[in-house]
Amino acid sequence: MSGVLTQADLEIAAPAPRPERPLPLSLRGVSKAWDKGRVPVLDRVDLDIEFGEKVRIAGRNGVGKTTLMRIAAGLIDPDEGRADAFGVSPVERPQLYQRLVSFLPAGDRGLYARISVRRQLDFCARIAMVPRREVAARVEEAIARFDLRELAERRVDRMSMGQRQRVRIAMTFLPRPDVVLLDEPLTSLDGEGAELLYGAVRELLDEGGAVLWCSPAGEHTAYHFDRTLMLEQGRLVAA
Amino acid sequence: MSELGDNASAFYAVIRRDFHVFLSYRTRLVSQALTSVFSLTLFYYVSRLVHVEGFTTPDRYFGFVVVGIALVGVLYSCFSVSETIRQELVAGTFERLLLSPFGGIRGAVATTIFPLAYAFLLATITLTVGTAVFGLELHWSTVPLALPALVLALLAFLPFGLFFTALTIATKQANFGASWIIALLSIVGGLYFPIALLPEWAQLAAEVQPFTAATELLRNLLVDAPMETSVALALAKIVGFAELLVPLSLYALHRAIRLGQRRGTIIEY
Repeated sequence: MSGVLTQADLEIAAPAPRPERPLPLSLRGVSKAWDKGRVPVLDRVDLDIEFGEKVRIAGRNGVGKTTLMRIAAGLIDPDEGRADAFGVSPVERPQLYQRLVSFLPAGDRGLYARISVRRQLDFCARIAMVPRREVAARVEEAIARFDLRELAERRVDRMSMGQRQRVRIAMTFLPRPDVVLLDEPLTSLDGEGAELLYGAVRELLDEGGAVLWCSPAGEHTAYHFDRTLMLEQGRLVAA
Repeated sequence: MSELGDNASAFYAVIRRDFHVFLSYRTRLVSQALTSVFSLTLFYYVSRLVHVEGFTTPDRYFGFVVVGIALVGVLYSCFSVSETIRQELVAGTFERLLLSPFGGIRGAVATTIFPLAYAFLLATITLTVGTAVFGLELHWSTVPLALPALVLALLAFLPFGLFFTALTIATKQANFGASWIIALLSIVGGLYFPIALLPEWAQLAAEVQPFTAATELLRNLLVDAPMETSVALALAKIVGFAELLVPLSLYALHRAIRLGQRRGTIIEY
């Protein structure tokens, strides 16, 4: 755990009817419709993720998995319901929420094409408000952990898609979040890259963090999850 | 103190990011400096050809217009922020700022710093070339005062860029009408000719924005051009506009981001 939250924070932020100990991630009655009057893509979704738990959400393309992840990340608001991390709302306390939760969006976006991997990671550490004295060490740690040594000085637009994905994953774990949201994280990764990702996830879970992993139904993965849920017609059901 | 230091570190990260992106386009500084030199050359010969009412010598008009050319660059850099944010929306990097503890608003404000510093560098090059090549006479005793005056003016100019950034986030269209606004401000701000030449109704427009006061003050400090008003009044206007517009523009930015998050359009580009 990153130790970002104090007990006082948890007591202030925790809404009344919740469990005594706020969960790493909780979605309550989350609904979202992209067009008014149309069937909602998410329909009163509830999801609780426990300490040290790794949950997968699967579903066919376009069913609303990414929308759910974006709401959990605090990027967009639900029409109804709310998301919380340790009882902290992304709308009410965005700065604290973003210290707790880190999001890997699907695709290959979110990188500065013309700057090097090392500078990219340094940028990421600083906007994540990693204490200044720790920035250099964290960057080196991420480079070593995700085997980016040979790529460290290379510009991102001169890298392969798999290499870019590895940088994106390094940026997701670099701030040492308590909750990690991974939207189709295996995209473009080779076996070695996938093993590095599994290792980072394992380490986070060992420290009591939580992971929400989202991937299309039928994606071939031998990876073990504590729970797998299917998103169907706006609702989460056990797979 | 630590929170302040970490914020400063994040601001530094954004400025350094913009600096490295800028450096990756190797010919940009040379090409923009050359554009300034061509403008100087053009106006140097225009000042020799045309007699402008209110200027006793061609050199007085040339001095007047050189400061205007330098400030046009600053004006453009204020509005360029919305274009940068538009590119960030497309690349998905604004999302990264938004989903960081630093946040989208501070990220957008930090994004304004490098272009403004760069515009300051270009303005310095313009004045240096004007002095060294075209014989511009700077009023050296008050030149150092131009720096704090410019910083103050930037605070009053900056909100225009932030308003346009808010508009870009809301509409996904960069520089929505910005080129018209810049052209209009160049005219009513008296960047190329004295506003006294404008019709009376247009002179009113010169009073309701900070560019006229800032231009007049900087001209006075840099080339000893006479002022229509007092230095104190010009300063009061600049400070007043900054005090009013900075919070308003930050609020507009906040509202635009929250609107995008509520509607879900923040992910669109």
